[in-house]
Amino acid sequence: MPAPTLRRLTGVFFRIGNTTFGGGLPTIAALQRELVEQHEWLSPEDYALAFSLARITPGTNVIAFCAAAGARIMGLRGALAGVLAETAPSAVLAVLMTQGYETWRTNAWVMAGVGGTIAAVAAMMWASIWYLVRPYLKSGANAFRAVAITLGAFAAVWKFGLGPVTVIGIAVVVGLLWKEPE
Amino acid sequence: MNLFLLYLLLFKAVITSFSGMASLPVVRHDFVVTRHVLTDRQLNAAIVAGQTGPGPNGLYLVSVGYFAAGLPGAFAGLIALITPAFLIIPLMSWIGKYANIPRIRGAIRAVILASAGLLMAASIPLARDAATGPVAIAIFIAGFLVLVFTRIATWWVMVGAAVVGLGVKLLS
Repeated sequence: MPAPTLRRLTGVFFRIGNTTFGGGLPTIAALQRELVEQHEWLSPEDYALAFSLARITPGTNVIAFCAAAGARIMGLRGALAGVLAETAPSAVLAVLMTQGYETWRTNAWVMAGVGGTIAAVAAMMWASIWYLVRPYLKSGANAFRAVAITLGAFAAVWKFGLGPVTVIGIAVVVGLLWKEPE
Repeated sequence: MNLFLLYLLLFKAVITSFSGMASLPVVRHDFVVTRHVLTDRQLNAAIVAGQTGPGPNGLYLVSVGYFAAGLPGAFAGLIALITPAFLIIPLMSWIGKYANIPRIRGAIRAVILASAGLLMAASIPLARDAATGPVAIAIFIAGFLVLVFTRIATWWVMVGAAVVGLGVKLLS
């Protein structure tokens, strides 16, 4: 794996942050695939820490995630690079869209391209779920714990309407009380 | 509008919220109701512009800043949006010290798994929205298989999907 450099790190945040539609979670999922799975610059544990703390940091979660992930990989300059590469180009685009939003919304070509990307974003999120759970499915006892926590979190949101911060809070308590099998 | 005041108002909205769009009630109160800097129509336009493109949800604040004070206002909006994110760095370094204790590690791993569950819950409506026809479903399935079974970068999958969307439009 190539070692992280400021240029490479900025490139990853720039590419993912400015081509992923659908908001924070798809972007975090794409960053997880690049930073944890492909480049191995961020450990799964650091990813989890960044993900969970981003939820309780004021403001937009994905920006806090970029700051945390960038800082973990390359310190403060990594954090600055991550946050600026993630937000500045999209901010320029947002200004352009603000100036001409009536025009592009009715442009069938733009919407055709965006439509294809949205389908790919949905696929990427499901792939990311697989990547997150897969390492914990290797042994039977661990797999049971992993599947129970994953599906429990899903049900907490989907069936009982709990917010993400509450679900993460519950996961922390469950993780502390339910010891991982040796 | 004074840029520093603009920054402070937008910063206040961001620092008191915990997700991209949660700042909206504060923004509307300050900019539309109290100070009449924006109309509701402009605020809606800002939200549409910020939400439809790529990037984080809170980007609508850049558009709000643009409506309030032109390009310098957009810059103030961007700075207000990103400033609170840096609070996570001391938080992470403080909690990270305890990450190797087995029970803490177990809790962190539980958060990884819970984040997969959260992604699952967020993915279902997104997949429903994305499945607009056979082409979109084919892109979804092909994208999933490529991402799981190859090491092709996510960005190329996104570009490929956009090209397929445009190609189908060209042929129809």
